[in-house]
Amino acid sequence: MSVARADSLDSKELRRRSRKAKVVTPPPSRRLRVPKPIRRLQRQAPMYAVQGLSALSTRLREMTGRDVIDMNRVMEIVQFVYQQRQLASRGPDYVVDEFGFDAQWTESLLTLFNVMYRDYWRVETTGIENVPATGRALLVANHAGVLPWDGTMIKTAMFAEHAHPRHVRALVASLFMGMPMLSWFLRRTGQTVGHPDDTRRLLDRDELVLVFPEGVKGTGKQFKDRYRLRRFGRGGFVATAIRAGAPIIPISVVGSEEIYPMVADASPIARLFGLPYFPITPMWPWLGALGMIPLPSKWRIQFHPPVHTELIAAESAEDQSLVMTISDEVRNTIQKGVYENLKLRRGVFV
Amino acid sequence: MTPPALKSHTPQRVLISGVSNPLGAEVARRLATQVPTLFGCDVADPVSAVEAMDFVHADTRHAVIGKLVRQLHIDTVVHMAVKVDSHGDDRTVHETNVIGTMNVLTGCAGPSSPVRRLVVKSSQAVYGASPAYPSFVTEEVAGSDRHAYGLKRDLLDMEQLAQEFSLRTPGCRVCILRLGYRVSEGTTLGQYLSLPIVPTFAGFDPRLQLLHEDDAAEAVVRSALNDHEGVFNVAGDGIVLLSQAIGIMGGRPVPLLPFYGRWIGRLAMRAIGVDLPGHLAEVLTFGSVADCSRLAQTFRWKPAYTTRAVMDSLARGRDAEVIDSPSPPQEYELQVFLQRRRRLAGNSLRGTPALTLRK
Repeated sequence: MSVARADSLDSKELRRRSRKAKVVTPPPSRRLRVPKPIRRLQRQAPMYAVQGLSALSTRLREMTGRDVIDMNRVMEIVQFVYQQRQLASRGPDYVVDEFGFDAQWTESLLTLFNVMYRDYWRVETTGIENVPATGRALLVANHAGVLPWDGTMIKTAMFAEHAHPRHVRALVASLFMGMPMLSWFLRRTGQTVGHPDDTRRLLDRDELVLVFPEGVKGTGKQFKDRYRLRRFGRGGFVATAIRAGAPIIPISVVGSEEIYPMVADASPIARLFGLPYFPITPMWPWLGALGMIPLPSKWRIQFHPPVHTELIAAESAEDQSLVMTISDEVRNTIQKGVYENLKLRRGVFV
Repeated sequence: MTPPALKSHTPQRVLISGVSNPLGAEVARRLATQVPTLFGCDVADPVSAVEAMDFVHADTRHAVIGKLVRQLHIDTVVHMAVKVDSHGDDRTVHETNVIGTMNVLTGCAGPSSPVRRLVVKSSQAVYGASPAYPSFVTEEVAGSDRHAYGLKRDLLDMEQLAQEFSLRTPGCRVCILRLGYRVSEGTTLGQYLSLPIVPTFAGFDPRLQLLHEDDAAEAVVRSALNDHEGVFNVAGDGIVLLSQAIGIMGGRPVPLLPFYGRWIGRLAMRAIGVDLPGHLAEVLTFGSVADCSRLAQTFRWKPAYTTRAVMDSLARGRDAEVIDSPSPPQEYELQVFLQRRRRLAGNSLRGTPALTLRK
């Protein structure tokens, strides 16, 4: 009996199992579906393109005897595009820090900035070993060029040259933090408002903080004043460094002055748009968006040995004469470094 | 010379003004188990009855609080009748916030006043938002905007009145809580984030900081039970970007609203059905994140929900359990009736006769 029952159960079970699983098909998308072969081609087109390019590069190398198309660069670009597509589809669960810094996205952009760093401005960096691999530090640099490309290049230098790549968090004038798109981009890539509270907070988290004490006065100076440093504010950066116990690392940047040679400042237009200055260069605004392309000057960045403000007692931050002395010392170091690097540079564009 | 009244004391008789708003009701529910005698007053009927609380219809816009406080021997006043996220017109908001608070303060002032502690609900909206603010606004930042108007101005005036009261009345500790933005159902920000396609201000993706209803109520209860004096930011840990918040809610951000001329964007939003007040439009462009370290140090407590958790709980629709749905009026009347019957039946533990002042 029991055998028979088991048998019948088994057969039922078998029948149940033999039933085909219902295939759940997704509802047909309302968008037009292109035919299958074309879709396959779409998927494989990048691969074919890369294969074709590599074949072409081999052929060209055989013909001319040198690398006309560098396949490494091409692969970098392909990788960049794929990375961007991946980042675009990561949904709302990505991590940003309290300042709105998206490290993953910023690192993906480094490919682009590396091209500017290596090929466009051919930046030569010296003294990168003065930046500590761990712990807090306040980087202080001269500011020039109409747009803050110098900050971008210092950040890229930390990734391209340093043994322990680290993100640099720059401080930005609050004016730029109120501008559409720009403020979004700046916050996303790790910048924050140039407020003593923010500086202290970042230094307390053992970050590298980059500050341009010249501020807008530096970027907005005209071409005839190039490489002459402006006033360093009231030395607030020194007081903050002393309070936070962080060393100051002066940085001299050469080459940033020539990217947009500003021959005049149309201040009425600037006032109309609420900008600190409106540059007139040989290209801008005459050539429209083309005028925004920076000139390919030759750059040098020098990181100077640190000023050990972390050894000074925190109470000394109130001592304005000490603060101003250190501020002047840092400014002189940077100015001297700028002159030395100008001498080392053979020409403006070579 | 310290006044004898400044001794630390546990609150015995607590009056909550504005118990009929959801947050006030939640605070009453939590305080009911902690203090011996609890009174509540508001203009409207309470959303749900708390058995241990005596409710009285009283409008803070009239000078009734003084009488109430003296006759009921109130030692702690929790002032929650402050409109922050309401759809009333500016005039009502001003009357309630500034004039109402002024009445409460004058009621609590004077040598004959038994009040030893005052908790005032304020909001992070006093800051509004500005690109010039530090990334984490501290309590001192408020008031730096000289051209504040609307709700921001009202809250500033209200807080200033409370501060002056605190200086003039050394016998009374004043605690002002700047509660962060809340996104439960019915709040403007919650409504905005729940839209299927969310128009955002073009070119901006601000950082938001939120506060859960539970934590808001807990902060008010803690400040009513303990001796904390001063102004405190209360908001959840961490931040969430506006685009992330919209993504968590399953919507899609569309940068449609113009940045220059934010009022055009506000008009457009009103056409959709979301009435963005001025300060909220600022927050949705520049973002507002408060520094809550003073709260953590003084209260030895911080909100349990992080901003991310608040967003997640909103997305899961779990906020329904925080605020009870309003009970029908008969049920409330019935509960009050039964409560009074129990009292009259000889339970003389509560020292007051039932009190109803109906208009």
